[in-house]
Amino acid sequence: MSAIFDYQTPAETPKPVAVSTTAKALIQLDEVTKTYDSGENAVQALRGVDVAINRGEFVAVIGPSGSGKSTLMHILGCLDTPTSGKYWLDGEDVAEMSSKELARIRNQKIGFVFQTFNLLPRATILKNVELPLLYAGISTSARREQAMEALKRVGLDHRSKHRPNELSGGQRQRVAIARALVNNPSLILADEPTGNLDSKTGSDIIRIFEDLAAADETIVLVTHDPSIANRTQRRITIVDGQIADNSAMETP
Amino acid sequence: MILLESIIDGIRDIRDHFGRTLLQLVGIILGAGSIVATFSLSVAGKAQSMEYYKVSGGIQKIWVSDKPTGKVTLDAKALASKGLTYADALALKRDAKEIDLVSPVSNDNMTIRYMNVEKPRSVMGVTPAYSPMNDFHAGTGRFITDNDLTSAARVVVLGSERAREFFGSDNPIGKTIAMNGTGYLVVGVMEEKYFSFDKKRNVMRWMNRQIYIPITTMVTRKGEPLTSGKISFMHARMRDIKKNEQAVDEIKTILGREHGVVDFEVFSRIANLRRNEQNNKMYDMLFMVCGIISLLVGGIVVMNIQLASFNERVREVGTRKAVGASPAQIFFQFLTESVLVSIFGGFIGLFVGRLFTGGISLLIRSAPIVTMSTCIYALTFAAGTGLLFGMYPALRASRLNPIEALRTE
Repeated sequence: MSAIFDYQTPAETPKPVAVSTTAKALIQLDEVTKTYDSGENAVQALRGVDVAINRGEFVAVIGPSGSGKSTLMHILGCLDTPTSGKYWLDGEDVAEMSSKELARIRNQKIGFVFQTFNLLPRATILKNVELPLLYAGISTSARREQAMEALKRVGLDHRSKHRPNELSGGQRQRVAIARALVNNPSLILADEPTGNLDSKTGSDIIRIFEDLAAADETIVLVTHDPSIANRTQRRITIVDGQIADNSAMETP
Repeated sequence: MILLESIIDGIRDIRDHFGRTLLQLVGIILGAGSIVATFSLSVAGKAQSMEYYKVSGGIQKIWVSDKPTGKVTLDAKALASKGLTYADALALKRDAKEIDLVSPVSNDNMTIRYMNVEKPRSVMGVTPAYSPMNDFHAGTGRFITDNDLTSAARVVVLGSERAREFFGSDNPIGKTIAMNGTGYLVVGVMEEKYFSFDKKRNVMRWMNRQIYIPITTMVTRKGEPLTSGKISFMHARMRDIKKNEQAVDEIKTILGREHGVVDFEVFSRIANLRRNEQNNKMYDMLFMVCGIISLLVGGIVVMNIQLASFNERVREVGTRKAVGASPAQIFFQFLTESVLVSIFGGFIGLFVGRLFTGGISLLIRSAPIVTMSTCIYALTFAAGTGLLFGMYPALRASRLNPIEALRTE
């Protein structure tokens, strides 16, 4: 039944979820490649990426545009699957999951923060933050309670009844962070979260991420801004579909 | 839970884009409206003809006429036959098991005179069974009785209009009128019979213009022996409308036996009613098809606008998918919206349909009847349209690739 809704072409049969006994890291990518088959010329966006990210790490993924960092981000976020290789997320092999299973993983283990916020314009702030819980099938009262708690963490619980267009850019991004936090994800993925903000507001947003990192959240932040990348604990530089530099920062 | 949220979202969507929603729904509104109009008028029509049958003696009535109709040439035997006789009525009453009432009628024209008013008028010779058979009773005085029948009494019962014609405002009962020169005692005046399809013309007026005497009196007055006396027609009433065919067959068998030839015709109201129902069904179908076609056109419009508004919602779908909405959840959410919008259109259609019927009933002067089941029909069809034509946009939304959806500006 669910196969007719799948946006991926290959017919997928549900596979038993493989559980890694060796992977200790929250995220482990083994030899991940991604090839986009656009007609005659196939584009290899990722050419064998090995990465491990532990729980509680605050990691920046940097690289020039076209380097494959967006592709990496999509695979990390379970919006896309690798062409080959393994991806272990929180002990589950997600590399070959169906779109339905990927939706479940995104719903339960990942919180997204986008450059363009991507709030639903017609829903209130509260409803926006509740959205992941809605698809998780959480009861109305529990949804409200958890969403209010997440809004409190970003200091916006007093704006819960407003619509997104009544808020400033920085506030909207804070709402998006609250939405990313609301389902207690294993991983928070932020894709250029300050790209649409002025530097002062952007800096405030990064401070929120720093606070979350201090509270032991795992955060992967994709950016091209070195000044932002410098505020994380570790940088993964990706060039031409491969990891060029994978180094822990000196703790200041 | 998701259903509830989808419904809330759908209502919000209707509210936010009210003009667009109305435009989107014109087809569905008209479709549901014409279904309501069709059914209301058809139900009203059926109710009226049932009412007419009831007022004129019920659907269990069977008419036996003394000539086969529709046959141009009769064979010699049939030509020689005397037609229906009073004895036939007695035989039916005695032998037919499925018949509980037989009312033979003999028609004649007589000259009626009272004081200085003299007019030629038609007169009916009847038995006491005539009154229950036609659900037509004496308003004052009494109807023809069994005693009148056995003694061939010279008594007369007047229709209300005839009573006024000859007696004005005087009480006719106890007075004597001359019929073809013979005196008859007025023993009763019939109640006023009224039924109208258009609230104007009384289609039962002819009954108020009747004059009744005992059938025995009429037959013997003509100088014929009572049992072989010719009658004009008779009515019979079946015991059980479910045994319509048996009752009709029984009459045919008994009369066939008495006459030795089929020189009569039997018409059952039930058979008539069923034939009418067949015709009505055809008209109903015709209107239904019109309604369904406009619903289908409406559905295509709904689909079109859903697809058009789809583009502005691609990012929304992408966002929903990113936060974990499964393809099926997206599908049902969009489908719920289509169905909801269509039901909303159906509701408006109910009122539009009521307006239609109001307008039509002014023209044909019959009050429409909007029943609950009519409304449920219309709403079901509207919802079905939304379901059918919401499928494709919902499927497209569910199949969106979240990455591309989020990249859309």
